[in-house]
Amino acid sequence: MTAVTGSQLVGDPVDRVDGPLKVRGAAPYPSDVRYPGMAYAALVQSTIAAGTISSIDTAEAEAAPGVLAVLTHENIPDLAEAPLTALGSPPRFPLQDDRIVHHGQHVALVVAGTSGQAAAAARLIRIGYQETPAILDIADPDAPVVTNPWGLESERGDVAAGLASADVVCDETFTIAAETNNPLGLFATVARWDGDRLVVHDSTQWPMMERRTLADVFGIPEDDVRVLVPYLGGAFGAGLRTWPHTILTALAARIVNRPVKLVLTRPQMFTSVGHRPETVQRVRLGATREGRLVALDHEGTSTIGTEEANLEPITMGTPSLYACPNVATHDRQVRLNIPNPGPMRAPGTAQGNFAIESALDELSYAVGVDPIELRLRNHAEVQPGSGLPWSSNALRECYLVGADRFGWAERSAEPRSMRDGTELVGYGMAGAAYHWYQTPCRVRISIGRDGTAHVRSAATDLGTGTYTVTTQLAAELLGLDVGRVRVEIGDSDLPPAPQSGGSGLMISLGNAVHDAAATMLQAFIDAVAGDEASPLRGRRPNEVAVHEGRIHLVADPSAGETYAEILARHGLDEITVDGEVQPQPPAGMAPAGAFAAHFVEVRVDEDLGLLRIARVVSAVDGGRILNEKTARSQITGATVMGIGMAMLEETVFDPSGRIANATFGDYLIPVNADVPTLDAVFVGEPDKSTPIGIKGLGEVGIVGVPAAIANAVHHATGRRIRSLPITMDRLL
Amino acid sequence: MEIMRSSDVDVELTINGHKRELRLDSSVTLLDALREHLDMTGTKKGCDQGACGACTVLLDGRRVVSCLVLAAQCGGREVTTIEGLAPDGALHPVQQAFVRHDGLQCGFCTAGQIVSAVALLDEGRTGSDEEIREFMSGNLCRCGAYPNILAAIREVAGTGGE
Repeated sequence: MTAVTGSQLVGDPVDRVDGPLKVRGAAPYPSDVRYPGMAYAALVQSTIAAGTISSIDTAEAEAAPGVLAVLTHENIPDLAEAPLTALGSPPRFPLQDDRIVHHGQHVALVVAGTSGQAAAAARLIRIGYQETPAILDIADPDAPVVTNPWGLESERGDVAAGLASADVVCDETFTIAAETNNPLGLFATVARWDGDRLVVHDSTQWPMMERRTLADVFGIPEDDVRVLVPYLGGAFGAGLRTWPHTILTALAARIVNRPVKLVLTRPQMFTSVGHRPETVQRVRLGATREGRLVALDHEGTSTIGTEEANLEPITMGTPSLYACPNVATHDRQVRLNIPNPGPMRAPGTAQGNFAIESALDELSYAVGVDPIELRLRNHAEVQPGSGLPWSSNALRECYLVGADRFGWAERSAEPRSMRDGTELVGYGMAGAAYHWYQTPCRVRISIGRDGTAHVRSAATDLGTGTYTVTTQLAAELLGLDVGRVRVEIGDSDLPPAPQSGGSGLMISLGNAVHDAAATMLQAFIDAVAGDEASPLRGRRPNEVAVHEGRIHLVADPSAGETYAEILARHGLDEITVDGEVQPQPPAGMAPAGAFAAHFVEVRVDEDLGLLRIARVVSAVDGGRILNEKTARSQITGATVMGIGMAMLEETVFDPSGRIANATFGDYLIPVNADVPTLDAVFVGEPDKSTPIGIKGLGEVGIVGVPAAIANAVHHATGRRIRSLPITMDRLL
Repeated sequence: MEIMRSSDVDVELTINGHKRELRLDSSVTLLDALREHLDMTGTKKGCDQGACGACTVLLDGRRVVSCLVLAAQCGGREVTTIEGLAPDGALHPVQQAFVRHDGLQCGFCTAGQIVSAVALLDEGRTGSDEEIREFMSGNLCRCGAYPNILAAIREVAGTGGE
């Protein structure tokens, strides 16, 4: 078929196509790559948070067994500046001078014959520091503050007047601890030079950006850089920058003239690849006695490194959330001597939602309106501000279907009114929205004489299911069985694709596949244009359809022939076409991202303050769902991360700026026993903003979960916790 | 700082039924011996501190985190890794169940989860969902595939569940 029928909202639950490889341990991750003669690198990091290096003695390390090189700021060559990206200026390259701006900053790289030799020699480097006072507290009055760093502040209507006219005003402050992405896969780089050509296997979500960065830094053409990442052990945003350790590893490989591998240690994963910044938010809601919003003022403050940029759009989505005439947003970033933050699943939005959806729950109690009814009264039927109709919006259905599946009607509104033995029971909910995002993407598809299709693009699969849903979509659009489509991604030599990020990859790649599939059909029709033997000669694309690799007339399915027959008769090995998409928000409508409503039951042991999540129900509008199984995994997996954000995760900086809990023994993420049954259901209809009708699903699953949990905790205990994580001490 | 000098040792390992003779530094872990000396990269390093379970292997049939076991301690003992669970090309029932129930996303923790699950079944720790959850809690999954991992193990154990 060349057009998505749209008749099927939820696609087949096809097993993950890379599943068999992964369950055998046979999928090659960057840290698995090995070359003959490969050397190993180990990083040395600063033990102060601010100051300068006064001396660095590498003699003993250089003399240690197996050591090939020691790179420091005193001996590395000048490198060019990395380029700007859509996420702003590149990470600061640390070895350019003797300055230290955060604890855990890279100060040296040791290269040796084995990983053990490199790690042992790294401990022999002696560094003297001239320490200066570090700024480490988001509330420190000496910390530089950047106002409106990304130009995202906005106002519509008159918020001050709206608040003054409101019957009820809620004015509260919400804080969320810093968190660390902590994918299970340690970030790894293997770099190899072949003359002036550089091949890098790296833990990245964005091979094309990394290719451009490395080309710029080393002053070589982009075509001479190849970035490979067919499999990636998670990233959750940590792979959206080209980090200094990647550049250092490539530099080391050039210096020692051998392939070099660097695998970060788990503690280095806390300091080297970004983290979700600590945030403080103030929300002021004004409403009528009936709970109709008349004013919403949202101020978000996040931490940032002293000299770097990070896009943390805490309030960006706020103006579009609810039908409210007066809305203002304010963004601030506070510069600290910390490793620079970076994107972590639903950056900004996850935090902004916690504050807004918690505040709405408070409003629901202030006006005595059920939390779902309150949201329905303020539902944005059209996009607030523009007044445009949404390209799709089933948020109302999310509330209602979710409430029904959860059994919301059994909730008694009064806090502390539900109990089971020694446990207080709480029901809480929150709505969620994640913004629409699409970006240019290309794909190349070949159909060969064996009747199979080969789909190629420089995209990535972080576990999100890119391989699987691209296979399914291409199979559907090309009229082939899933087993006859092979998808190749994770290679910057393939047609350019955007990052896996912002829930924007599949809507970009999927529509590029849609474009390529239409071109493919035209190419086969063109191939038989002068072919009197072909029943397809002279036909237009809309007169034919493809089923199981056979193109036939719509009007007469018996008249047709297969891709393979056409290729064979014309002496062609294959036909190859390119597809492309440019982001084109549709005219006359507001492009909508995904929506969701999360419902949570918590249990709180009254004596011990122990919080347990008993169950979660999520109703999600993701537009058309390509694969029910992998889509559900995206939602429930993100929900697990939301549970971590709500009750466990906190990156702790000690008074010296050192991260005090940089191990999995100390930084707690949810384990199997923390996670109950998670129910996810999909509602809505295919989205009208693009031909394939899908919306990104990678992030909406975490947005709203922390607020739903905090709201449930309030319902269970009567305590309004405005600070995450909700640890035991906060419930005693 | 004085670095303790280590020395090379000869070790004969039995890995997935095959004898392998290695000369390696006495400080090399079983995990690094597998990954860096034998090029068996199915077993993953997620923390190197015994806290994530990605490197789980069976040592004489019991699950261990191979980052906390020295290769030199494994002479004469049977090591089973993810590569040894099923004959070439085939999948162990637990591996099949993980695919069917989507008990993985990025796949990095998966080898450790599956080896751990195979041992769990032998240990008889699959009597209830709570028991499976508790005894699989040494294997972290950041993608959050836990409910699907539970479903996969429950199916192989035949314990029904919820």
